Order: sequence, then C-alpha cells, then structure tokens
Amino acid sequence: MKIAVAGKGGSGKTTLAGTLARILGRRGRPTLAIDADTNPNLALTLGIPRETAAHIEPVPKALMQDQLDASGKRVRALAVSYREVMAHYGVPAADNTRLLLMGRVDHGGAG
Amino acid sequence: MCAAHATVRGLLHDVTEQSESVVIDMEAGLEHLSRGTPRYVDTLLLVAEPYFKSMQTAARSKAMAEELGIARILAVPNKIRSVRDEEAMRSFFAHAGLPLPVLIPADEMILEADRLGCAPLDHDATSPAVVAIARLAEALDMI
Repeated sequence: MKIAVAGKGGSGKTTLAGTLARILGRRGRPTLAIDADTNPNLALTLGIPRETAAHIEPVPKALMQDQLDASGKRVRALAVSYREVMAHYGVPAADNTRLLLMGRVDHGGAG
Repeated sequence: MCAAHATVRGLLHDVTEQSESVVIDMEAGLEHLSRGTPRYVDTLLLVAEPYFKSMQTAARSKAMAEELGIARILAVPNKIRSVRDEEAMRSFFAHAGLPLPVLIPADEMILEADRLGCAPLDHDATSPAVVAIARLAEALDMI
C-alpha cells in the first residue's frame, strides 16, 4: 500500500501519517515514512526525539539529475541507487518504520 | 512549473516505487501531486477538520486527485467533537462523493503528547484518536 496523506496545516495530517505508518509496521509491514511537508514534523510521531530530529539530513536535491530514459526523453531521476539513498538518509524509527526527509522546497528560484 | 517541486516529485516517485509500504506526509497544498503520481501512490487520504473551509479543501483535492487517476481517495474527518460535527462531516462528504471509512475524535492526548515531546502512540496507544487510526489501517486493508 502506498498512501499519501494531505490536508491543510493543523488538520492533524502529520499525526495521522506517522501513527498509521507505525501501526502498519507493527502489523509486520516495514513501512517507509516520507516527510514531504514544508514544515517537517513527522519524526516526532515516529518516536524520534526532538533533539535527534533536528539533525536529520534531508535527501539532497542534487541527487536528482536530468537523465535520458530508454526512449531518449529527458527525465529527472535519482543519480544514485535507492539502496544508497536509504543507507545515507533513511532514519530507522519505531515499529519497523524508516523516515526519509525530503527537505524544504526553495521558492527563491524559478517558480 | 516550479523546478524545485519537480525535483521533489521525482524523488518521491523514485523512492516510493521501490518500497512495498509507504506513507507520505504531503505538503499542505497538493503541489507534489502530478500526472505521474498514480504510478507510485495508490491511496490518498484527505484529512479534514469539522469546519467548512477544511472540508471544502478536501473536496477540491478530491477533484484534482481524481483527474490524476489516483485509485483510492478517502476523506478522514479529524478532531470530531460532537455528534453534530459527525453529522456535518457525513453529510458534506456524502454530497462530495468522498467515502469516509473512519472518523477520528478530538483527543486531548494528542496535545498532551506534543507538550511532552513524544509520539501519541508512545504516550497512550489506547487513546480514542490512536484507536481510530488503527481502525483506519484495518479499513484500508479491506476496501
């Protein structure tokens, strides 16, 4: 199951996303929890203490590079393997979950 | 189109594609959703509070997500304080054509956990909101 949780700020979507990920993990499904919010806050609900959460490194945008796919079309894709991304940026969390932090989107550039 | 959003979308796609079970806490707007999203997300949960603007946002997101072709789109009413809240949510989402498998009650424990700096699930796994989220997990498996 691949679930996206959306809602206005303050709606409780982060609490829902984190708790749901852990409940799935408890039921024997290792679950990847991805924080793609501009105000990342998912770590705490995954049982990661605030002090640790403050130092989590987001996946660098530079890992995404323009590449040509099989048909010669330009696509932006991961320049390293998924395994490497998880090894470097995946943070083990409670109940069989792992956290990936997407990092803030900088709106300063081309909008 | 914002280049930075395109990068995040690409990243979401690439990492989600390779995991069996994924939960993504999306940005408040739906900027990360795109034509390609249904290739890596099969379920969209639209969390809504019991006031009109919040419900309306969910209904709008539903229209957009449908257009993209996301297979399963569900509303999750949250912070329900009364039978009136519940009725308002049920009636709004029935009209909007959004199924709501579970309603999550307002729960002081969530705030308490936040004040203590710990996860709701660690603070009190038997509290009403956590129990409702567990029911949601079950419902997602069945529908």
